Amino acid sequence: MSEQEKTSVQTADDILLEVRDLKKYFPIKGGLFNSVVGQVRAVDGISFKLKRGTTMGLVGESGCGKSTAGRTILRLLERTSGEILFNGTDIGTLSKKQLRAIRPKLQIIFQDPYSSLSPRLPVGEIIGEAVREHGIVAKEDYDEYLDTIMNECGLQPFHKDRYPHEFSGGQRQRICIARALALNPSFVVCDEPVSALDVSIQAQIINLLKDLQREHNLTYLFISHDLSVVEHISDTIGVMYLGNLVETGAKEDIFRNPLHPYTQALFSAIPMPDPDVKMNRVILEGSIPSPANPPAGCKFHTRCRYCMEKCGKEEPATYEVEPGHTVTCHLYADGNKKLPELPPQNTNAASAAD
Amino acid sequence: MSIEEKKTGAQPEGQDGQQMALDDERRVKVLSPGAMVAKRFFRNKLAMAGVIILVIMFIFSFIGGAISPYGESQIFEDYEEVVSNFAGATINTDYRYTEAYSGSLPTTARTSMILAVNNGETTYEAGENTYQLTEIGEHCYVISGTATVAQADRLAGSYVLSSDAIEVSDDLTAAFNDAMNSGATTFTYDGVEYTITGSGRTYYISAMQELGFATQEIIEADGLSYEAKKEALLALLNGETSFSADGTNYTVELDDETAIIFSGSEEVGAISPYSIQGIESGTVISTELRAQIIEAIANDTSSFTVTDAEGNEVEYEVVRENTRYTIRTASSTRLIQTYLAPSTSHWLGTDGAGMDILTRLMYGGRISLLIGFVVVILETIIGVVLGGIAGYFGKWVDMLVMRIVDIFYCIPTWPILIILGAVMDSYQIGARVRIYFMMIVLAVLGWPFIARIVRGQILSLREQEFMVAAEATGISVSRRIFRHLVPNVIPQLIVQCTMALGGIILTESTMSFLGIGVKFPYASWGNIISSVSNVFVMTNYWYCWIPAGFCILLTVLGFNFVGDGLRDAFDPKMKR
Repeated sequence: MSEQEKTSVQTADDILLEVRDLKKYFPIKGGLFNSVVGQVRAVDGISFKLKRGTTMGLVGESGCGKSTAGRTILRLLERTSGEILFNGTDIGTLSKKQLRAIRPKLQIIFQDPYSSLSPRLPVGEIIGEAVREHGIVAKEDYDEYLDTIMNECGLQPFHKDRYPHEFSGGQRQRICIARALALNPSFVVCDEPVSALDVSIQAQIINLLKDLQREHNLTYLFISHDLSVVEHISDTIGVMYLGNLVETGAKEDIFRNPLHPYTQALFSAIPMPDPDVKMNRVILEGSIPSPANPPAGCKFHTRCRYCMEKCGKEEPATYEVEPGHTVTCHLYADGNKKLPELPPQNTNAASAAD
Repeated sequence: MSIEEKKTGAQPEGQDGQQMALDDERRVKVLSPGAMVAKRFFRNKLAMAGVIILVIMFIFSFIGGAISPYGESQIFEDYEEVVSNFAGATINTDYRYTEAYSGSLPTTARTSMILAVNNGETTYEAGENTYQLTEIGEHCYVISGTATVAQADRLAGSYVLSSDAIEVSDDLTAAFNDAMNSGATTFTYDGVEYTITGSGRTYYISAMQELGFATQEIIEADGLSYEAKKEALLALLNGETSFSADGTNYTVELDDETAIIFSGSEEVGAISPYSIQGIESGTVISTELRAQIIEAIANDTSSFTVTDAEGNEVEYEVVRENTRYTIRTASSTRLIQTYLAPSTSHWLGTDGAGMDILTRLMYGGRISLLIGFVVVILETIIGVVLGGIAGYFGKWVDMLVMRIVDIFYCIPTWPILIILGAVMDSYQIGARVRIYFMMIVLAVLGWPFIARIVRGQILSLREQEFMVAAEATGISVSRRIFRHLVPNVIPQLIVQCTMALGGIILTESTMSFLGIGVKFPYASWGNIISSVSNVFVMTNYWYCWIPAGFCILLTVLGFNFVGDGLRDAFDPKMKR
């Protein structure tokens, strides 16, 4: 274990976070004595590496375990198994005291800026409370530091005395960002930070996040189901389906050459800002299966257009098709480099399925 | 916050240049959530009415009690001249005996006499003695009998006589000695026959002697001798207006059946067929007063005046009912001023126990409000601690606490309160300790609803993202609870507690009304009302219960208004 740690630190000193086979199961309790009768496999073994100063976009449809993965990495939820190596230390094994000490380095920005700010605290207190608690800056510099942070996040010093209810959604999200940034973190989980905002403000927030990343050398895990946003901000992308990471790779590779049938279906749904372009949409039939009772073999096989016989039986292995571009699919077992072409779907059937 | 300010607050998004212009000077005051709540609350007219009611009730109860000149359980009394029955006079039908000298008529002689009179006999025997009756008038007899009148002791060869009853003269002694010398057992001297009994050195001399008289007339003349009384009686019987006895001349004022005896101009006694007795035992009726009463009866006057020992003129009045006369006089009586109508000295009158109602109301308000607050505070402490533990820790702790809450909800409150009240009665627990017990019991029975609210609030808040955010920033647990959780629970709690206050005051009043709550000498609005136990009091003495009922109504209404106002003010959706 310690040897492994050392090697990981040695081999990739620029790797900030490494997740190895992380699992998070939620028990389903039932029966007379509240015994565990089943498990929701929200995160079912994901592994990835994140370089310092980069952004990884985590995409997938609702309920695929993106947010759970983000929170489990920060140990806001206790993992079921797997390792979360942050700077070489396994976060999952830290004691409460050690965890509290490391908390400032790992921050999170939530989706809903309305419920993520305590309504009874003034903004200055929300941002600065933990700064004082952790002694990030000396007492005499505190006010100045707070002003600097707020200014960086596009807030004015006089906002300190106001309360969250006096702010709009965008400003609230700025407060959330300021709260995270004030602790001088190195890793920030952005849990759909813009999906509750309107489009014009989304852009401002995304740009703010990018600016801050540049200035503070931040590493983001950017969770979103909005592919255009992910494309804009990410360096690498991970596609999740039902608790599994089905495809990872550099942003360019994945957008240029989506390997997994699910990725293809997902990307075909990106709206084009040109009414004349005929969209070649891949419509997925049926709905996402229950993570409490996932299909055997490849979890996607119930909805996959390329479904083969062995998909329902064997779990697919992960193949590195291009350097740094991995996919978990049986299609690439025989060295395919590209998703094979299939005849376009019957649009009538598709609309019916909708 | 006005709409304009809101715009300025929400407008700037990244446009740095514009934002810089929005400095503090252009903004009006920043309002904290608390200030917003206060503002909304003070704009709510109903809530302000409630606040005013409560402030008035508090001033009334806590300051009013101190200002009031009367005590909580001060009973107002008054001494009033009340004409009451003083004495009764009836025609006597029993024989009254007047003894010639002390012990001359023993009880046996008296009882046998009545028998003899009834049988029409003139002599009768009682004990060893023989008595003779001489009728001197209707129901008037002189009783004579053989009685030892003298004792003879032999001294130096002759006998010396000594006697209390008769005058011992030398002639009598000589007659006795003669009889002794001649061996006779009887001798006669001065027309009276004496009998000698005895032997040796001591002999007793007996003679027929007047022993007393019996009459149904009542002779009220303590100062007169036997002779005078007898003469007075004879004067009455014979219709004479004067007599003399013991060398004194008396005049008699006769009137039909009665005689008033004067010595000179002084009234010294009266003879009448009336027996006069005080209505209350221990009443002393002086001879003079008796004479006056008899005179009044005889003269058929309806009132007379007597100067008593202290020199005050007391007026008496005589009322006749058949053969009975009642003498009435105005006497000073202690009166408890019950059910006094409102006046300047008692603004709301007095109650059935003679206590000032306004003062009782003030002290009652103190106790009612105090009980309300203490019970709510106790409930809140228990409820917040248990509800907080259940909500924050969840799992089996939550399960346990909530089951306890369920059990407490199943307890039938009123039977328990009534039984506990009866138990405290039987152990004769003091009124003050009772109040403490009552507070504790009400709090113990009432905390579950607060526990439920707190638990529910904390359960929902715990899952809010700001709590997750607080955890992510690494803030300590205690800080998370007290800075983030508790301030968000307090609004609900304040609202519920305010509402509960009214309920507790009602419960307390009901308990006191039923007599299982606050007891005398302590006042409570409930036990003030409980003095109204019948229709008569309810319909005739409205000031006994309407004000207390009004106080309860107003206070509960006040608490409910304030509670409603607070709830509206705390609710962010209520933007009035």
